[in-house]
Amino acid sequence: MLLFCLLPSWGQNAFRTFKTDTGQPFVGRVLSYEARTFYVQGRNGNLFAVPFNKVSPEDQKYLIQIAPKLPKGDPRKLNSKDGQSPAPSTEKPESSSTSENNDVAPKPSSPPKPQFRPGSFFAYKPINLGQDPSMAVEAEQVASLPGPDEPVDFDKHILPIMAESCQSCHKAPYDKNGRTIHPKAGLELDNYNSVMKGNLDGTVVEAGKPNESYLYEVITLDEEEDMFMPPKGGPLSPEQINAIRRWIEEGAKPSTGGGVADMSKGISFHDHVFPLLEEKCLDCHGEPYVKNGRTIHPKAGLRLDTYEWIIKGNLDGTILEKGNPDGSTLIAVITLDSDDPEIMPPKGDPLTEDEINMLKQWILEGAKENPSDTFAPPEKEDVVALDSSDKKESIIDKLSKRLNAPSKPQMEAAQKSGALVSLISVRHSMVRAEFSSGPTLIKDDAIGALSGIKNNVSHLDLSRTSVTDSVLGEVKKFNNLTWLNLKDTSITDRGIKSLSKMPYLTYLNLVSSKVTDESIETIAGLKSLEELYLWNSKVSKRGFQDLKKALPDAKIIH
Amino acid sequence: MKSDVSKLDEVNRREFIANAAKACLGVGLFPMAGSYIHNNLKALTPGSRPATARYVIYLNMTGAMSHLDTFGPNPDAPDIQGPTKSIRTSADGVILSENLPETAKHMHNAAIIRTMSTSQGAHEQASYLMHTSYLKRGTIAHPTFGSWVSKLSGNINTTIPMNVQVGANPAGAGFLESKHGPLPIGNPASGLANSKVADYLDQSRFGGRLAMAQKMNQSYLSRYDQKQVRAYSDLYKDAIKLMKSEDLKAFDITKEPEQMHELYGSSNFGQGCLLARRLIENQVRYVEVSRGGWDTHDNNFESVATNCMDIDKALSALLLDLEFRGLLKETMVVLTSEFGRTPKINPRDGRDHWPYGFTAFLAGGGIKGGTVFGKMDKVGRNPEEGKFVDPASLNATIAHALGLPLNDVQYSPSGRPFTVAHDGKPLFDILA
Repeated sequence: MLLFCLLPSWGQNAFRTFKTDTGQPFVGRVLSYEARTFYVQGRNGNLFAVPFNKVSPEDQKYLIQIAPKLPKGDPRKLNSKDGQSPAPSTEKPESSSTSENNDVAPKPSSPPKPQFRPGSFFAYKPINLGQDPSMAVEAEQVASLPGPDEPVDFDKHILPIMAESCQSCHKAPYDKNGRTIHPKAGLELDNYNSVMKGNLDGTVVEAGKPNESYLYEVITLDEEEDMFMPPKGGPLSPEQINAIRRWIEEGAKPSTGGGVADMSKGISFHDHVFPLLEEKCLDCHGEPYVKNGRTIHPKAGLRLDTYEWIIKGNLDGTILEKGNPDGSTLIAVITLDSDDPEIMPPKGDPLTEDEINMLKQWILEGAKENPSDTFAPPEKEDVVALDSSDKKESIIDKLSKRLNAPSKPQMEAAQKSGALVSLISVRHSMVRAEFSSGPTLIKDDAIGALSGIKNNVSHLDLSRTSVTDSVLGEVKKFNNLTWLNLKDTSITDRGIKSLSKMPYLTYLNLVSSKVTDESIETIAGLKSLEELYLWNSKVSKRGFQDLKKALPDAKIIH
Repeated sequence: MKSDVSKLDEVNRREFIANAAKACLGVGLFPMAGSYIHNNLKALTPGSRPATARYVIYLNMTGAMSHLDTFGPNPDAPDIQGPTKSIRTSADGVILSENLPETAKHMHNAAIIRTMSTSQGAHEQASYLMHTSYLKRGTIAHPTFGSWVSKLSGNINTTIPMNVQVGANPAGAGFLESKHGPLPIGNPASGLANSKVADYLDQSRFGGRLAMAQKMNQSYLSRYDQKQVRAYSDLYKDAIKLMKSEDLKAFDITKEPEQMHELYGSSNFGQGCLLARRLIENQVRYVEVSRGGWDTHDNNFESVATNCMDIDKALSALLLDLEFRGLLKETMVVLTSEFGRTPKINPRDGRDHWPYGFTAFLAGGGIKGGTVFGKMDKVGRNPEEGKFVDPASLNATIAHALGLPLNDVQYSPSGRPFTVAHDGKPLFDILA
């Protein structure tokens, strides 16, 4: 059994990650070029025509470097020229799988194949997008059928059969004379995904059930039947039919070449993680595209089409935490129960355990783009600390988590005295209470109405009201207060004394109040303060200096 | 389709309206503690994340301010820059033109978008687009951004409108209720016009006259119980509430000490900014102050320098004042124009209209200080860094910081859907 020789007739270029000028990466190896278009072949055999000016500058340098070594011309045409043997193009491989010779004898039962003069259009052996040109060359020369004990590999065994007999009609849409020619019956058979996808009428392959697979049915019909496939060129050989049957029986699996074996060296984003995401996720989480004049955005605003987007996440946050797979949303959603509505991917089968473990391992190793990147696990953050400025939000978040939001009747009761009570946001249970309408009518008793929700009040605005020092005796019971505004009130040092123990207070506004230097000590004890406004109060310059020394991290405006 | 049953209801409805009118009027005239209860729990509907700004002061430079000589100088392109030099500011990497030295001290709290772009090159259309996020058309009048703020967030302070415009002719509430439209203040020094209760009327006589007017309106109100009709009597109620409230004093800038007036400058714009600060203290959500004189097709550099003397003083005073009162973190100050001016200097030493690549200045609440978004190329036509930001996106950025829902659809009377910032996307690079 001859193993596939993947070396085409010209030198092999290595696979490389190219970047387009819009930042999209794609993996491929360059086969040839024609004028300013380079023909690059992707991992799954797809052939891309890449214009020179559409890749990033580094890639352009690379292309310039290798160009002298590349053959010129469309690889499909090149291949057919090279592989053009006296034998006509529509031959079938020899049924004997042990044959090593390059001669292929036509099957006795099929009508004589038309002979085309070299150079004729029909003499081209079409190598379709989605196929390794080298494989196509070998397809007719070497039998590629699996031995009895060998598991059937899609790329190695089935794809060449399809390339040979099916893809002349069932290939990806292409342009001809300015018209787009679509695959027959809307069914593409040039790569694994398309074969498994089927067409609008349904799938053509049922994994494990060849007799229920339409593909198998049409190739085993009688030649005279209408739906017999392939309609031109005679039926497939029994060995080919058998190979296809075996493949379907074994579960119609894709090729696993390269992926699993290489994982022992470390999980590479480009080789292992990205192809998986490409296959399972990009249908919904790809980049925005225009369809029927409307821009279709990725689901949940989450793009997974490049490394940067995967790391970035969406407006709700990131989906991975480097070094912490169990805390990563990505792992959380793919490991849900299969009947949980939130499971990802929502359509199709959930990811296999191997795939999930691979992703977990990748995240644990730091979710690196290249295996050579360094990753240091983040140090344990002390979430309880109150000293960094952007922790204010997490204070609110923390406080929110411990409580439930006030109910509607509670809010209504709180508003009885003229306060406006509003939630900070729908995700938080903390509220802001202010007396904005007719504030001068608000006296100390107004605060009583808020006592029902006093633990939920994080922002309290008493500015311009007629409250006196005694109101602060009530305010000190608002344990979770972070923001207190006493601007334009007649609060004096007596009231401030009540505020000696406000553990979470970060903002205190005493502008135009009657607070003097006597309160310095009390205020200096509020170590959680981040902003303090003392303009037009009775605090002196010296008092201001003392406070600056006592609260070095706070912003104090005098 | 009036049947006997509904006729009966009509009588009851008339009585109901009559009672309601008396009740409301009573509250307006004799304010007591607890009279300003917020029955509207919908006020300040919480969004999905805490809002980073509460108030907006929008400084509108009408006539198209020359961006290259003010907020967006490009020292790398001397041919288009002309004689205006650039100066460093309190924020690293941010430069301003030499015409704005005082504002330069506040750049650590401010952000500049240098790649604003609009599709309109004419003043009226561009101003409309900047204010409403929609193109001007004959079929409908769109509400201005201030009206949207008033509509979507409800009243924080029930006695004062949420939308005030100082200076130029206000564009209106469009198809939204007229109470959301801007309260126009022509001259800041004179305050709110026609708001003083006549001296010869005492409370009870005033109340009596109002009650009589209400009684005469009853039959009309009951027969035509429509939004516009009700809006008319609502207007009276709101006016009375405002007249009787504390907030009326907010409109009177003579109550400010002399130093404040000096700090802001004696220009109309400066006094307007002072009034804006007073209104923000009284929880007006959106105040717009306009300043014209920027249409410098002739003699650009001198005119801009003179104009900048006013706005530099006023803007820096405003930022300083808000910071000292502890209000800067909650107030977003926006300074922008409807489009910019040509990089190429014309034969009259002026600049003409340039809708590509002008600048917007944002400071205060919700803004990441000391940031610059984008940079235009040497010809001033395309962005070298960053991308174009259209007026709808600027409005979306402000709305996002205020916590307004960008996808809340309001329907015009004809059933057409509109949102606060149309198709604009918030610019997260400059939002904190």
